Amino acid sequence: MATRSRYLNTLFAGYALIAPPLIILVLLIFYPAGQAIVRTVMTDQEVGIAAGLTLDRYFNFFADPIARSNLWFTIWVTVVTTALLFLVCFPLSLYLRFSSSRIAGIVQVLALFPLFVPGVILAFALIRYLGPRGTVDTFLRIVFNYTGFVTPYLKPSGIIFALVWDHIPFTVLVLTAGLRQVEDSVIEAARDVGASGLRVFFQIVLPLIQRPLLIVFCLNMIGIFGSFTIPYLLGPAAPQMMGVYMQQTFTDYLDRSGAETQAVLSFLICSVIGALYVRTVTRRRGERA
Amino acid sequence: MPTLDLINLRKQFGSVTNPVVAVNDLNINVADGEFLCILGPSGCGKSTALRMVAGFEEPSGGDVQIDQQSIINMPPNKRPTAMVFQKYTLWPHMKVYDNIAFGLKLRHLPKNQIDQEVQASLELVGLGRYGDRYPAQLSGGEQQRVAIARALVLKPKILLLDEPFSNLDALLRVRLREELRQIQRNLKITAVFVTHDQEEALSLADRIAVMSKGELQQLDKPATIYARPKTLFVADFIGAMNMLDGEVNGGVVKVGNQRLPSPAECVAAPAKIAIRPEDVIVTQTGEGAWHGRITQVSDLGHYRKVFVQSPDLGMLKLYLPKSIEINDGEMITFKPTRFLIFQGPLPPFEVKL
Repeated sequence: MATRSRYLNTLFAGYALIAPPLIILVLLIFYPAGQAIVRTVMTDQEVGIAAGLTLDRYFNFFADPIARSNLWFTIWVTVVTTALLFLVCFPLSLYLRFSSSRIAGIVQVLALFPLFVPGVILAFALIRYLGPRGTVDTFLRIVFNYTGFVTPYLKPSGIIFALVWDHIPFTVLVLTAGLRQVEDSVIEAARDVGASGLRVFFQIVLPLIQRPLLIVFCLNMIGIFGSFTIPYLLGPAAPQMMGVYMQQTFTDYLDRSGAETQAVLSFLICSVIGALYVRTVTRRRGERA
Repeated sequence: MPTLDLINLRKQFGSVTNPVVAVNDLNINVADGEFLCILGPSGCGKSTALRMVAGFEEPSGGDVQIDQQSIINMPPNKRPTAMVFQKYTLWPHMKVYDNIAFGLKLRHLPKNQIDQEVQASLELVGLGRYGDRYPAQLSGGEQQRVAIARALVLKPKILLLDEPFSNLDALLRVRLREELRQIQRNLKITAVFVTHDQEEALSLADRIAVMSKGELQQLDKPATIYARPKTLFVADFIGAMNMLDGEVNGGVVKVGNQRLPSPAECVAAPAKIAIRPEDVIVTQTGEGAWHGRITQVSDLGHYRKVFVQSPDLGMLKLYLPKSIEINDGEMITFKPTRFLIFQGPLPPFEVKL
């Protein structure tokens, strides 16, 4: 009996510890989110008519050319930004992992610096730097008498530029950590049996960092898809990214159910990537030590 | 006929103003089919030397030659050497078969030939049916066997092994050591084996190169290294040794209150006297007998290890046959039968009584 009550005590203490965050999570996030999802598939309440199921709001969304173009624009920006991030961060991480020079330390600090810069500061800094009559524009005018500078400000390229900058630290951190898990001797063993540098990269290193690669891919995709501050401050008036579009629908057009529909759609798209993430993280590494 | 020559091989790390010399003018020649061990304490430069042969470290000077051809400008993937590493050597995302076949595939051999050679090399290390497993499903000993198979399947001119068994438990280490020796003998492959374990070196090697602080101390057959160590370091590092301070004077070396004969070539100067624990006999008290109190007796199977506290020589270690009845706390008298006299950096003089 004594052991049983002790077991129950431990059990209770465990649940008591996780209860506060769990309750907050359920009451403030899951419940309202569930409510919102349900509302998007219900007909409006009218006197004398019972509420029924409907997909009208979603049909309306896809019937609206502006909504469609905003959704495609968001997906396009997300894919392009993620691709550019890999292009920039992979060489950087490889350098940080395999270089033993002192410059590597400086490069690491530079790569991690954006981590400490809030998005809104970054956006304004980029406006001052790359905007019309900004630093770059002025420099080109004065030094080269060149007046053809096309600012990325209020263009898709402005969003992409800032989002890439903003996501470099996280990407580099995860990739470098993943690369550090690959032991030197694993690479040397491959060199030893005759593999060239490229072959070692594609057949040894890449398969071994599959997991951090997928993690960084998923989290970047979700973060970029749902970004708000940077597209709001740097992006064009049309098309808009979903975060900006939702905010406008909600506060400027006062269309609450429209904003909810956009939110649920965004959530569904992100949850596909989220599912990939969860699968990657929880997958049993049958073949790994 | 693969031979390996390290010629004035040198490696220094650190800055120009503050260089750290890891390997200093190392000269070693390995004959065809020979099994050579490089032995030394950690940090003596033995692994650095091996890694320079494999191509993973660039020498600061000197040359590495295989069959009298310099390989110093070849990248590791072009060198006719194969290496077995200390740990984490198998690629965890590939099955055992693919681990071994990797190098053969790079050489574009036909599929059925690869199959045959992988199978043959797995059988060589006693893992004939393990091809379908992942490295994580193997024990540490099995993983190192696969690593050996992976190195041998490429038929390298020189097999390099960098402390391959040091992460395994003692029994397994001894077994794998014997298996490796057998395989090496059968294949007649030239091999260089780096280790800090003198027992491993003594039991494996045709010849041992003892290194200390980046320098070669002695390169000889195991028996010679043990019986005639050339330097104090080797005398102290290989096997157990009683090191006593002495003073040579006129054909006699004085150790504590004892006098031992010394060869005429010895100069009158301080000396180190090295006595192996087994080079003593128990005697009656009398002229030339040493005495002391037994402080500890350990039974080590076929002999006894005895610690003796001598009033003028300090603690001595003796290996005595079990036929002699001795107990803790008793007095014992004994005599050295053989010892070495070290004076300065010169090779020692051996004295047999």
